[in-house]
Amino acid sequence: MNLFKISIANLREKKLNSFLSALLLTLGIGMISLLLLLNKQLDEQFKRNLKGIDMVVGAKGSPLQVILSSIYQIDAPTGNIPLAEVNALRKNPFVKSVIPLSMGDNYQGFRILGTTPKYVEHFQGKLAEGHLYNASMEVTIGSKVARTSKLKIGDQFSGSHGLDSEGEKHEDKKYKVVGIFQPSGTVIDQLILTRLSSVWDIHEHAEESETPAVAEVEHSEGQTHADPEPDEEGKDVTSALIQFRNPMGLLTIPRQINDNTSMQAALPSIEINRLFSLLGVGIETLRTLALIIISIAGVSVFISLYNSLKDRKYEMALMLSMGATRTRLFLMLLIEGLSLAVIGFFAGIIASRIGLWVFSKSAEQDFHYSLGKFALLPEEFYLFFGALAIGVVAAALPSLGIYRLNISRTLAEE
Amino acid sequence: MISSNQLRFSYSAQKKFSFPDIHCNDKETLLILGQSGKGKTTLLHLLALLLTPESGDVFIAGKSVKNLTPQEITATRARNIGIIYQRPHFVSSLSVLDNILLSNYLANKQEDRHKARHLAEQLGFADHLSKKTNQLSQGEQQRVSIARSLMNNPNIILADEPTSNLDDENCQRVIQLLKRQSAQIGASLVVVTHDQRLKDEFSNQVFL
Repeated sequence: MNLFKISIANLREKKLNSFLSALLLTLGIGMISLLLLLNKQLDEQFKRNLKGIDMVVGAKGSPLQVILSSIYQIDAPTGNIPLAEVNALRKNPFVKSVIPLSMGDNYQGFRILGTTPKYVEHFQGKLAEGHLYNASMEVTIGSKVARTSKLKIGDQFSGSHGLDSEGEKHEDKKYKVVGIFQPSGTVIDQLILTRLSSVWDIHEHAEESETPAVAEVEHSEGQTHADPEPDEEGKDVTSALIQFRNPMGLLTIPRQINDNTSMQAALPSIEINRLFSLLGVGIETLRTLALIIISIAGVSVFISLYNSLKDRKYEMALMLSMGATRTRLFLMLLIEGLSLAVIGFFAGIIASRIGLWVFSKSAEQDFHYSLGKFALLPEEFYLFFGALAIGVVAAALPSLGIYRLNISRTLAEE
Repeated sequence: MISSNQLRFSYSAQKKFSFPDIHCNDKETLLILGQSGKGKTTLLHLLALLLTPESGDVFIAGKSVKNLTPQEITATRARNIGIIYQRPHFVSSLSVLDNILLSNYLANKQEDRHKARHLAEQLGFADHLSKKTNQLSQGEQQRVSIARSLMNNPNIILADEPTSNLDDENCQRVIQLLKRQSAQIGASLVVVTHDQRLKDEFSNQVFL
């Protein structure tokens, strides 16, 4: 026999009341914990892919769209820009590197991205097997692509036009897998990387007649072997990722580009902050809602203990007459509140993990991003103590009545 | 052994009680008879140290309780006095067995499961130990509360109207059990009641 056993027995005696209190706490804690998890993982995903990219140039349009499509590969690109203009940026003394990107096709929803080997270098992509593409129509695929599509080295496939898998297929020209990347946690995991020239070939092929196209493919292959960063007249790319040599670039170059070229410059840090502040309103609302639910849970614990104390007044007097001290009974009631808080906390943590898992499933399907980190966050320890505090306060307020209980009168009343 | 000396108590200026002195040695029994409103329960609560008298004194096992602190009073009551109430009350969430063991726990004594089972057999509710108390009949409940009052081997057993809600058969059974059990542990048995059926059962009687 101990206080804990009596407390638990009391909670079990009032199953529905206890269930309601724990459920409300579970909901509140679960929501906050899910928000924390999502916030952290989105933040990480966004930051990790953002690292080292100071500016993105793309066709005029929404700068946020340029960022989302070029860095995160989740929105449609704004259009095409001439490769010549992109390459002109290389001459600027503030510019450290320029990585042109060309997209437009996909395989089973995974984007086929034409780029230079610099892109792989930038995201520190390491090969798990095979080698990096070095001829037109050769591709190296990300780990998630390999896992989902079951493509192996030596396999051939034809891409679909557009960025979702329903697009028209380019049946006549097949890509060949020559390498697979290790999982890196970056956007590379979900991409099929190839030469810029592959993308041009595919689309010229579709537009022009057979024979000259084949000739051009061979021609471009021959040329690009010598020059890893092709600079071809009249060719377009979708966008380019730019790294500056020093922060001074940030002050001058974006304006120059926006004023003097057909391109627009988008700054990832500004756009992502804008995106987060837009999301922030929603997150703030959800957080407020979660706090309200937690408060209601506290009130529910309070009411349920208050009522049960009224019903159990005689029991309390009886235990006092049998030698219990008031402090001991007060502790017993506190344990009831605390137990509910602990149950609510752990159920909430589990619920948030299930929520994250469901969310991750749908994010994976729609954007190929996975958010599968289920470890406890440091913030959740604070949340635990917060839950305990609510349990203690909600239980302590009604239980203080123990100290005012008149034993003799209560026993005589019945 | 329990005795009292010139106990007085008042709830208000109009509602004053002064009680005759009582005395009950170990192994003896005492019946306190009185009609409703004569302060039977008040006297029992004074004897049980649940109320502090306005004047006068109570002696538990020969010792005055006048100058004890509330903590000492609680401890003295838990160790020396077993109380049986008119309507048996229990901690409803606990089983019959746990309700009996609760006396040990609250008096900070070792839980004696063996004794609890033994008492349950003697008092005839051994089959109900794992049930909840509200599943038992009134007579059974009263027997459980007798077992509970005996768990700490008290010096004194105080019973407040232990039989008033029981039929004749259960009344006899409960009073015999009380007498036998208190004699077994050598305790003083004080019964406060208006139940005339008990008149012939006790040789020592006090009228309020």
